[in-house]
Amino acid sequence: MIQEEPLLPFKTWLLEWDADRWGAFWHFLLVMVVLAMLSLVIGLIIGTILHGPVKAGERAYRVVANAFRELFHISPRRIWAIARVAMQEALRRRVLVAVAVFVLLLLFAGWFLKTDREPAKLYFSFVLTATSFLGLFIALLLSVFSLPNDFKTKTIYTVVTKPVRAGDIILGRILGFTLVGSLLLLVMGGASYLFVSRALTHTHTVAAQKELPERTSRSDGHSHKLEVRDDGQIIAMYEHGHEHSVEKRGDRYMVSPPEGMIRARVPLYGELKFLNRQGVEVEKGVSVGKEWGYRSFIEGGTQAAAVWTFDGINEDTLIDEGEDGRYLPIEIVVRVFRTWKADINTPVQGIIQLKRPGSDLKTEPEFFFADDNTIDLKYFPESLTDTNNQPVDLLEDLVSEDGQLEVVVQCLDRAQYFGFARGDCYIHLRDASPFWNFVKAYISIWVQMVVVIAIAVTGSTVLSGPIAMLFTVSFILLGFQRDFLMGVATDKVEGGGPIEALVRIPTHMNLISDFKDQHFGIKLMRLVDDGLQALMQVLASVLPDFGNLSTADYVAYGFDIPWNQVLQQLFLGGAYVIGLAIVGYFLLRNREVAK
Amino acid sequence: MADNVVVETRALSKVYRDFWGRQKVRALKALDLEIYRGEVFGLLGPNGSGKTTTIKLLLGLLFPTDGEALVLGKPATDVEKNERIGYLPEESYLYRFLNAEETLDFYGRLFDIPPEVRRERIDKLIKQVKLDAARKRQLREYSKGMTRRIGLAQALINEPDLILLDEPTSGLDPIGTREMKDWILELRDQGKTVVMCSHLLADVQDVCDRIAILHQGELKELGRVEDLLKVEDVTQVSARGLSAECQNEIRDVIARHNGELLSMDNPTTTLEELFLSIVRDSEARPGRRVVREEEATPPENSGESTEPPSTAS
Repeated sequence: MIQEEPLLPFKTWLLEWDADRWGAFWHFLLVMVVLAMLSLVIGLIIGTILHGPVKAGERAYRVVANAFRELFHISPRRIWAIARVAMQEALRRRVLVAVAVFVLLLLFAGWFLKTDREPAKLYFSFVLTATSFLGLFIALLLSVFSLPNDFKTKTIYTVVTKPVRAGDIILGRILGFTLVGSLLLLVMGGASYLFVSRALTHTHTVAAQKELPERTSRSDGHSHKLEVRDDGQIIAMYEHGHEHSVEKRGDRYMVSPPEGMIRARVPLYGELKFLNRQGVEVEKGVSVGKEWGYRSFIEGGTQAAAVWTFDGINEDTLIDEGEDGRYLPIEIVVRVFRTWKADINTPVQGIIQLKRPGSDLKTEPEFFFADDNTIDLKYFPESLTDTNNQPVDLLEDLVSEDGQLEVVVQCLDRAQYFGFARGDCYIHLRDASPFWNFVKAYISIWVQMVVVIAIAVTGSTVLSGPIAMLFTVSFILLGFQRDFLMGVATDKVEGGGPIEALVRIPTHMNLISDFKDQHFGIKLMRLVDDGLQALMQVLASVLPDFGNLSTADYVAYGFDIPWNQVLQQLFLGGAYVIGLAIVGYFLLRNREVAK
Repeated sequence: MADNVVVETRALSKVYRDFWGRQKVRALKALDLEIYRGEVFGLLGPNGSGKTTTIKLLLGLLFPTDGEALVLGKPATDVEKNERIGYLPEESYLYRFLNAEETLDFYGRLFDIPPEVRRERIDKLIKQVKLDAARKRQLREYSKGMTRRIGLAQALINEPDLILLDEPTSGLDPIGTREMKDWILELRDQGKTVVMCSHLLADVQDVCDRIAILHQGELKELGRVEDLLKVEDVTQVSARGLSAECQNEIRDVIARHNGELLSMDNPTTTLEELFLSIVRDSEARPGRRVVREEEATPPENSGESTEPPSTAS
C-alpha cells in the first residue's frame, strides 16, 4: 500500500510547535485569526468608504459584539428543530432514491467485476469509491440547495423573524444533513459489506477418491493445492490471498468458505535508509527515471541495499506458533525494475538479512524470488545463524538494547533493480477485525461528507444554489488536488507558477529548462507568479485534503486503519465544521435576508 | 422614548442597490413613525410605496440605509426583539411539506418553548384558526384561506406583544376577510399592538385606529382614521325627537344663514376617496410630504384632533 507520508503520532500532529510544521491545532488557530483580522480590515475599509470611519467602527463593533452575545444564545432545541426540518426536507426530496441507485449498482457490479488476482482489493476499492462519490454527491446536492431554496421561497422570512440565531440555522442544517447522510452511509455500508463478503465467498470441490487428489477443482479462476498437515487437518493451500480448510466426512470432502481473504493487517513500520553501490549510506537510492519519486531503487549485484530500522522489538512482536516456536513475521513488497529482459519468467533474486544496528552482526542471507508488487512473507525464527555460521538469538543478539532491529534487503542479479519505499517492509504484528476496519473506512467517508456539508451550507448562506454548488465542487476538486496546488505554490512542482506555465505552453518550452534571457517580461511574469503563488499557498493551506481523508486503500490492500488516523480525521472534520460554521454565521447574520 | 411607544423609526431610509452598489430605488425616504401600545396601526399605500419595505426594516429582514428603527426598545436588527414579535408575511412562507401541527411545533421550538406549553398552545391555536380538521394535512394541500390561517397561527405561537401583518386579507374571500378582521380586533382587545400594511382600504378602515399613508417611499398622511375621514366644512347635527315644525325651523335657520341642508346622516367620505385624492395630489406635486406628527397621541387619549397634513420640504 502506498503511504507517502508516515502517519504522525496524534499529539505531534495536533500540537507540535515547530518551524517546519505547525500542529493542526495551531494551524487552525492561525487560519481563524488571519481570517478574522482580514474580514475586520476589509469590513472597516468598505465601511469607511461608504459611511465614514466613525460609523464603520461602530458597525464593526456591533457585528463583533453581537457575535459574542449570540454565541451564548445558541439553543439545542432550536438547532434540533432546524435539523429536523432539514431532514424532513431531505427525505421529501427523495434522497432514498440514491440508496436504490447504489443497490442497483451493486446488483450488476458482480457481472463486470471479475478478477483472478486479489478480488478483495477490487471489490473493496469499488464499493468504497462508489460510496464515497455517491455519498459526497448526495450530501452536496442536499445541503447546497437548502438555504438558497429557503431564500427563494422566502420561508427564511418566517424563520429569522423568530429568535433564531444565525448560528442555530447553520449548525442545525449541518446537523440535519449529516444525520441524513449518516443514514445513507449506514445503508450503503451494510449493502457494501454484504456485497463484498458474498462476492468473495466461493468454494471448491474435491473429488472423492481413495487417495487425496493433488488439487481442488477450479473455481473463481483458481484451484488450490491440497496438503495434509501433521495433525490430519487437510488444507487447501494459500492461493489468491486465501486458503480453505477441508473436512473429510465419510467418503466426501467438504471445503470451507475462503479464509483470510479479507484482512486487516496491523503493521509495524520502520525507518528506511539506503546504501549505495559502494555500501555507503545515502538518503535515497537510484532513480530509474520514474516521475513519481515515491520509491527509490537499489542496484543488483552491488553493495546497494535498502535498510529498514524497526523500533520497539520485543517478545510481543513475535508471533507464537505453538510447538514450532516463535517467529518474527516480516512482510515485504518489492517493485522490480529490469534493465534487461532476460528470461521474463525467471524472477529476480534477492536476499534479506536481519542485522543488529550499530554492529556488523548479520544473519545468514535468506534468498527470495521477487514477485513484482506482491506481498512476500518472511518468517524469521528465534534462533538463527549469522554470516559466520554461528548461532545467534533474535531477541538477545540481533535486537539492540533500545529494541531496534535492522532488516537489510539486497538484489542479487546484476543490472536489475529493486524499488522500495518506507512502507514496503513491515513487521506484521497481528490482524485486526476486518469488519471494524471497514467501519473505520466508512468513518473516513463520513468525515469527508461532513466537511462537504459544512462547506456547502456555509457557501449557500450568501450564494444562490447553482453558484454555491460550483463553489463547493471547486472546493472539493481543489481539495483532492491540494498537494499539487501546494507543490505549484511552493515551486516544488517544476514549471513555475500559472503565468509561467501559460508562457511555456505556446512556446513549447520544456518544464525544466530555464528562461535564459532575464528581460523585463520575464521579470514581470515572475513577479505576478510570486503573487499568485502566495495566494495559492494561502488557499491550499485552508483546503481540506480529501485525498488524505480517504482510507479506502487501507481496506482494499488489507491493512488496518490506525485509530490514530481515524481520530485525526475526526478532529479535522470537527475543525472544518467549527471554522465554517463561524464563517457561515457572520455571512448569514450580516446579509439582508429580504430583497 | 415613552413607555407606550412600541415601534419608533427615526429618519428611516432604504435605498435598494444592485450588485455593484449602484442605486436602483429609493424605497423609503426618511420615515418618522411612532406606534403605540395597544393600537392597530395601518400602513397604506399603492404597490411599491414602501409599506412592505417598512415592515421588513422593522423585522430586521432588511438593514436601513440611513436612520434607525427601534422595535420594543431594541434596534430592529437585534434578534432578541423577535421573542415578543409575531409576523405574518405577505404570502405564507412556510414549509409546505409540514402539516399544521408540525409547522406550529417547528416555530414553537424556535422560540425555545418547552414541550408541554408548546403542545397546549398548538392545540389552542389550531382550534382558534379553525384548522382542527386539517391539522394532519401537509400545507401544500391547503387552500389560500387555510394557508393564511396557519400563517396567523404561527405568528401567534409565542403570544407576542407586537404583531406585524403584511397584507393580512389579501387573497381571502369576504368571509375569510371578515374572520381575519375579527381576529385582529380580538388581538387589540387583548392589549396587543398590531401593525398591518394593506392596500385594501375597506379593511384598514374597519380595523385600524391610526394609519399612515405612504406613496413613493414618503409619508403622506398620518393620523387617526376617524379624524382623517372627517369632512371639515360640513357640520353634522344629530338630534332626537324633533318635531316637523322644529325641523322646518332648522331648515329656515340654515337657509337664513345661506346654508344648505344636505342630510341628517353621518357625513363621512370613504377612505377610498381620501386615499385616491392623496395619491393624485402626490403625483401632481411630487416632494410634498408630511412632517412628523407633533401632537400624535396614544389612543388612550382619544378625542384630540390630529393635525391635518401640512406642507414641507
